[in-house]
Amino acid sequence: MLSIIKSMTVVGITGNIVFVQVDVSNGLPYFEIVGLPDTIVREAKERVRIAIKNSGYDFFSKRIVVNLAPANIKKMGALFDLPIAIGILSSLGIIKNKDFDNYVIIGELSLDGKVKKVREALAICIELRKQGISNIIIPKENEDEVKFIDGINIYMASNLKEVADYFNGEKILNKVKTLEYSKVINNRNYDMDFSEVYGQEKAKRALEIAIAGGHNCLMIGTPGSGKTMLAQRVKTILPNLTLDEALEVTKINSLYGEENYEVAIERPFRNPHYTISESGLIGGGAYPKPGEVTLANSGILFLDELTEYKTNVLEMLRTPLEDKEITISRVKAQITYPTNFILIAAMNPCPCGYYGSLVKKCKCSERSRKRYVEKISGPLLDRFDLFVDVTSIEYSEFKKENNKNLSEKIRKKVIQARNLQLERYKKYNINLNSELKNSYINEFCALDLKSQDLLNKFYEKAKLSARAYNKIIKVARTIADLELKEKIEYKHIAEAIQYRKKEEIL
Amino acid sequence: MSKKFAKELASIGIVTVSGMALGVDTYVHKYTMESGGKTIAVLPCGLNNIYPKNNIELYHSIIDNGGLVITEYEPDEKADSNKFLERNRLVSALGECLIITEAAYRSGTSVTARYAKEQGKPVFCVPSGLDNRCGIGTNKMIKNGAILLSGISDIFEELKNQRMNEYVENYKKNSKKSIENIPTGCEKLYNLIRTEPTSIDYIFSKLREPISEISYKLTLLELEGLITTMEGGFYEKSY
Repeated sequence: MLSIIKSMTVVGITGNIVFVQVDVSNGLPYFEIVGLPDTIVREAKERVRIAIKNSGYDFFSKRIVVNLAPANIKKMGALFDLPIAIGILSSLGIIKNKDFDNYVIIGELSLDGKVKKVREALAICIELRKQGISNIIIPKENEDEVKFIDGINIYMASNLKEVADYFNGEKILNKVKTLEYSKVINNRNYDMDFSEVYGQEKAKRALEIAIAGGHNCLMIGTPGSGKTMLAQRVKTILPNLTLDEALEVTKINSLYGEENYEVAIERPFRNPHYTISESGLIGGGAYPKPGEVTLANSGILFLDELTEYKTNVLEMLRTPLEDKEITISRVKAQITYPTNFILIAAMNPCPCGYYGSLVKKCKCSERSRKRYVEKISGPLLDRFDLFVDVTSIEYSEFKKENNKNLSEKIRKKVIQARNLQLERYKKYNINLNSELKNSYINEFCALDLKSQDLLNKFYEKAKLSARAYNKIIKVARTIADLELKEKIEYKHIAEAIQYRKKEEIL
Repeated sequence: MSKKFAKELASIGIVTVSGMALGVDTYVHKYTMESGGKTIAVLPCGLNNIYPKNNIELYHSIIDNGGLVITEYEPDEKADSNKFLERNRLVSALGECLIITEAAYRSGTSVTARYAKEQGKPVFCVPSGLDNRCGIGTNKMIKNGAILLSGISDIFEELKNQRMNEYVENYKKNSKKSIENIPTGCEKLYNLIRTEPTSIDYIFSKLREPISEISYKLTLLELEGLITTMEGGFYEKSY
């Protein structure tokens, strides 16, 4: 007799429904699992057989064939133990109710019949929420990590017998109580603050603009001027994750193999060392795993000492930055991962690091300095909207003001500016100013005569490219949003010009 | 430093001469033209073999801007180290005086200074701190009788002739005009900026204005040509 149970397997970051088809017939005792199982799934045979026996059911000597359909997707992990066992019990007639259609079942079985935690529980629940399947049975041990998932009924099972009784209508399974995500993450405290960086006011402002409008930002400056310190504090001005974003971040983390399967509460901040390889940055492997660009999705990718990265590795950033996603093709699979991050990078202006410094004299020749900055290719530089000098200055030059909670103040402005943008671009499938295509610039970034005049004057003086021209407008749009202004004004353009690329340096 | 002098001299109509090499030479040509002046480049090579190759763009823009590129070599001749020194002879000969901003010990620049002395041209040197490797040569020249250059007015004092007077007039006019040109609201900011590189944090600490205001005013001053952006994100007065 045939029973069909739904379960799920995760490939990349998409979940695929797997139909666990169990057929029990008379004949010589036999148990086989087909449908591209990996070793863990194949070993389910013994776990299932003994777990059924130890749960108090007779394991009849029958001919059992389990097929995991569709047959062409590789099935991985121990989560199929429970659906296989339920399928067998149903085929044997022990479970009388055959209505499994509305349920997805996952769980690993231990030999005593207990249902054990599985790695993929959260990823699967997230996927079900998207696909609109209403009921899932998961191991009780997974309860904590799925507590934020709303919109579906998540039932918890602690042993096989409970599940069988549930389907027979003899017992009720407890549902996971959902918590509201936004309430939990609202009270966060960071152990750092922008006020801890003395001086470098312009760089702080540049980072504020970068986060508010999603602009990539390059900091150029002498060693020890605070570039790294500034970048680390960007975390503190990021807006909260929404539940959808958080679930995506979590899903990606779980694929990467991080052992902690909790829903993310912080935007990612990835800071890979410059020895990173191509596949480390982009993703790779026979079954491609996500790289740093994907792990930084909806957060920040910070590349310190940009010139020290291998050139071929850096060049790979071009497509993820442009398309906001990356497709990795390998023999066994082709997977598309999201790569929607803000790139913040820092570098020295020359090999000795002190070009332009007043504190220490630069020892580099013009030629060696040129060669040094030329490591960063033009196309990559083109993807930065904001350039800012971060040069160390004398201690007496800056104001030592203890402005506590500076980060919180900046963060509030950033959130306001982002909300304005979301509202404005609602119909256009855009979230932030940095994503504006040239065709939209005229529509959303109209300039008055005075600003146009200023920009043209500058355009001629500095011999700007058309691309640089548009960048200034986009940055000015963000500056206007930070001031909650509907129109770009004269002074917004003038400020945006300060963050352009300086030809004599790069 | 060369940038500053090139700009100042060009803006009052003085023609600059240099060798179109990488570094200081390039700055002199570039900033002279940027300030609307004319410049002369003396090449150590034939005109078919422009050296250095990267500066071919500069070569064209010097000509396009009404400047002059000259050489004493046949069109196909290539540059070599002897020709560099020979070239310096012409550089100093063409100018009315020689300005040296930096020279390391026994550098090619000291050869130029020697030529200038032989040709009877005054030599101006910008002094450096003792820990600056690239200032050993210039400091030594000052010790040996070169004129210490602390500002453009030092040149006016030394070279007193009819043409110089015109330049001095221009200089006075320029600095007066520039002050009239300060955009409204930017006066305080302009006065805070010194004639040496001034950091934005210094301005911020003195001026009680948000950084966004300061940034936008800096752009306005820069567009008027009143201040110059320096390497490392510093600003200084143009005059």
